[in-house]
Amino acid sequence: MNNRFFSSLALRNIKSNKQLYIPYLLSSITIIMMFYLMASLLDNEFVQERSSSLSPLFVLGTVVIGIFSVIFILYTNSFLIKRRKKEIGLYGILGLEKKHVAKILFFETVFTSILSIAAGLVGGLIFGRLFFMLLNYMVRLPVDIIYSTSSLIVLATVGLFLAIFGITFLYNVSQFTFANPIKLLKGKQEGEKEPKGSIILFILSLVFLAWGYGISVTIPDPLEAITKFFLAVLLVIIGTYLLFISGSIFILKALKKNKQIYYRPGAFISISGMLYRMKQNAVGLANICILASMVIIAVSTTLTIFIGAEETLENRFPYENNMTLFGDVEDVEEMNTRFFELQDRVQNTVNAEGLEVTESESYRYATFFGGVQGNEFVFDESYADQENPTVLMVLPLEDFNGMTGKSYTLDDDAALYYHSTNAYTDSELTLGNKTYRVAEVANEFGEDMDLVESMAIVVPDASHLLEIQEDFKEQYPETNYLTIDAEVGWNTSGTEEQKEALAKQFNGEYGLGAGGSNLYDSRLLQREEWYGMNGGFLFLGIFLGLLFTIGTVLITYFKQVSEGFDDREKFQIMQKVGLDRETIQESTRSQIVWMFVLPIVIATIHVIFAYPIVRKLLLIFGVTNETTWLLSFVGVVIAFAAIYWVIYRLTSKTYYSIVK
Amino acid sequence: MTLLEIKNLKKVYTARFSNQQTEALTTVNFSIEAGEFVSIMGESGSGKTTLLNIISTLDDATSGEVFLEGSPLSKIKDKEISAFRRNTLGFIFQDFNLLDNFTIKDNILLPLVLSKTPVKEMEERLMPIVKNLGIEAHIDKFPYEVSGGQKQRVAVARALITQPKIILADEPTGALDSKASQNLMEILKGINEAGQTILMVTHSAQAASFSNRILFIRDGAVYHEIYRGDAPAEQFMDRISKSLKVLSSRGEQDE
Repeated sequence: MNNRFFSSLALRNIKSNKQLYIPYLLSSITIIMMFYLMASLLDNEFVQERSSSLSPLFVLGTVVIGIFSVIFILYTNSFLIKRRKKEIGLYGILGLEKKHVAKILFFETVFTSILSIAAGLVGGLIFGRLFFMLLNYMVRLPVDIIYSTSSLIVLATVGLFLAIFGITFLYNVSQFTFANPIKLLKGKQEGEKEPKGSIILFILSLVFLAWGYGISVTIPDPLEAITKFFLAVLLVIIGTYLLFISGSIFILKALKKNKQIYYRPGAFISISGMLYRMKQNAVGLANICILASMVIIAVSTTLTIFIGAEETLENRFPYENNMTLFGDVEDVEEMNTRFFELQDRVQNTVNAEGLEVTESESYRYATFFGGVQGNEFVFDESYADQENPTVLMVLPLEDFNGMTGKSYTLDDDAALYYHSTNAYTDSELTLGNKTYRVAEVANEFGEDMDLVESMAIVVPDASHLLEIQEDFKEQYPETNYLTIDAEVGWNTSGTEEQKEALAKQFNGEYGLGAGGSNLYDSRLLQREEWYGMNGGFLFLGIFLGLLFTIGTVLITYFKQVSEGFDDREKFQIMQKVGLDRETIQESTRSQIVWMFVLPIVIATIHVIFAYPIVRKLLLIFGVTNETTWLLSFVGVVIAFAAIYWVIYRLTSKTYYSIVK
Repeated sequence: MTLLEIKNLKKVYTARFSNQQTEALTTVNFSIEAGEFVSIMGESGSGKTTLLNIISTLDDATSGEVFLEGSPLSKIKDKEISAFRRNTLGFIFQDFNLLDNFTIKDNILLPLVLSKTPVKEMEERLMPIVKNLGIEAHIDKFPYEVSGGQKQRVAVARALITQPKIILADEPTGALDSKASQNLMEILKGINEAGQTILMVTHSAQAASFSNRILFIRDGAVYHEIYRGDAPAEQFMDRISKSLKVLSSRGEQDE
């Protein structure tokens, strides 16, 4: 018997089992496509260049989908081979040796893996290109985001999936090597033990979830958020699997104990059926839950960044025109002159165009680094070798009153302060050699203050700034960082065109290209660039959302089909003793609570707990509006629930048509 | 009182893509009185199972009619057929047809749950039956945890619990060893003596010897019929064996 014989036999087996192989191949192709698309994003120019935190996020995503692929393909394969045990047992009885059976299985694996890897790669390429084209058309970024892929990623995909299919082959062979033909013939009917709920697993799942949630809830600042985000995600994923595996058994058993609930036709059939195969079921549900959380977080955050673009711009550039004046290390007094001169110059330039300054703000400030110890602020020399994490901004009362429109007065030994963590509550604060009586004020200094731990102190006048600097110099004579800087911002009257002309004029004189110790930024001129970047995020968010939704479709579909085949015989027996079609539909319906409501509800809870950490991450992108996030979150949850509902209805029809 | 009456029953199978027809039942006529225990015997392919399937409403007759207490089965609407099967008929199958995902207790209660019987009533009905069948110690186990004989007694309990008009048993001893078979048949006989009508299809002369009357079926028609009367078991067995012998030898002469 040569290889040609075995390969043609293998091919015929696949054809004659197409009822089983079509769902298997479809799922394998889709998951390969998913992995390939996700991995290709690692190579994407936008992902690599936009932000340093984006690349690791996509590595994480690729790893998660990789693990997912392994679990999923092994799961679908074990279902497939269970159905075919009888057929393969028959080969043994007909006189094929085990190595012959292994050869048949080998060729089957080769054919299915070649087909699914090839189709997955081609599908991924086409889908990626098409979808990027479509999204580029819809989002209309100034520069299109190009779908790119490399031979390295193709190789990695092929390698990973060859390895996975290799494992399925070994698993299948082991199934036959250690079993005798008679057992195989009956293999399908082997009774499966009802799972026992493990209290340890359940507690462990709660520990993992609480740990993950805890990281999110207690995260102090955005920089920490980036590093801890991965850990939190991993913990919650593990916790979710354990929760579904152990928790669902507890709940089902509790339901079963309640006779009034359990002994009704729909519940009777569905509860016992689910309990019977809870291990598989739990993994499937946990997969759906995790994918749902990913879709909701990916789409809702990127949507928030996009919708919040205008707000982001306002945070970054509080006025239509903004100018930062950098002080001179050698000549601290120079700033005071320049500060007032420049404001006059702005006023004159605007007036020369026949426009008026409608709103303006200007303040001088000195920046220090260090930390609060007792009721003294202790300096560090610079941000680079900082022992304490706090950034301190000191500004004169004159300028503070000017920018807030309030009219505080301060005695010579009094000061106002704001502390981003609200931890400072003493009534005295020592700064340098001087101790102030202090009173707390609200954050009038911009949302940037909350990015890292910050403090702002308002002193009676500019001379105090200089005194504090003198004290600092005493402590660190070698310092290079001692300056007083200033911010000037203003809005003007006039049409968009007039404003733009003015902005261009200022930009030429003081902009990034002009040099000098003043830096001018126009919100108007920055807007386009910002939309480009944030549009890119929305683009990726929708793309990932779609990818994960496909994953959800896949799992739901396969779950329904495989369970349909498993349940078919059961329903036939029950029909013989008097089960009617309405009751079959009723029992299918009562599974909805599990299949549909549970993953969505738990995913929503995950996302709610993810809110603090996601909010901190969003601060990095300058999004501070909670309402925007809340609305896009609710919107995405509803939209996803609707999509999943459609998926669920369609697949449960498939299930019904299999079992009836 | 006549419980079940079968008149001119005929069943013809037509292959889906050809005109070739197979006659499974030619003309079957017989009736069963309430309280009888009737066995149907015959060789493989004689039409026993087809006949049982038609009486069970799992299959339709080509012509003829089955009457239960005088009303024709073919007049039952599709919607009511499941409820009819549940409430009026009790089934015992060769391969038990128990469900592994239910405990023994839930397997027995299945038809009652489907009929939305109150929990209290279900439990009241359950206990006497399982005690009577000697399986009360196992009701919280799963089918894969008990022996074949016990499984079949569970199936009997499931058939009895709806208090059916007639129990239809298809080769109930087919998958059991001789001791378990003997045990099961004694149970069925006991149930019959308590007033339950039973119709059983079997290959086994041993099993058939527990019934009051035996119908021999051949080539789709009732061919011969013997009553037990007051004869002792051994004598009845003897008559069954002779009848079977005649049945098969006459068959050979015919060909």
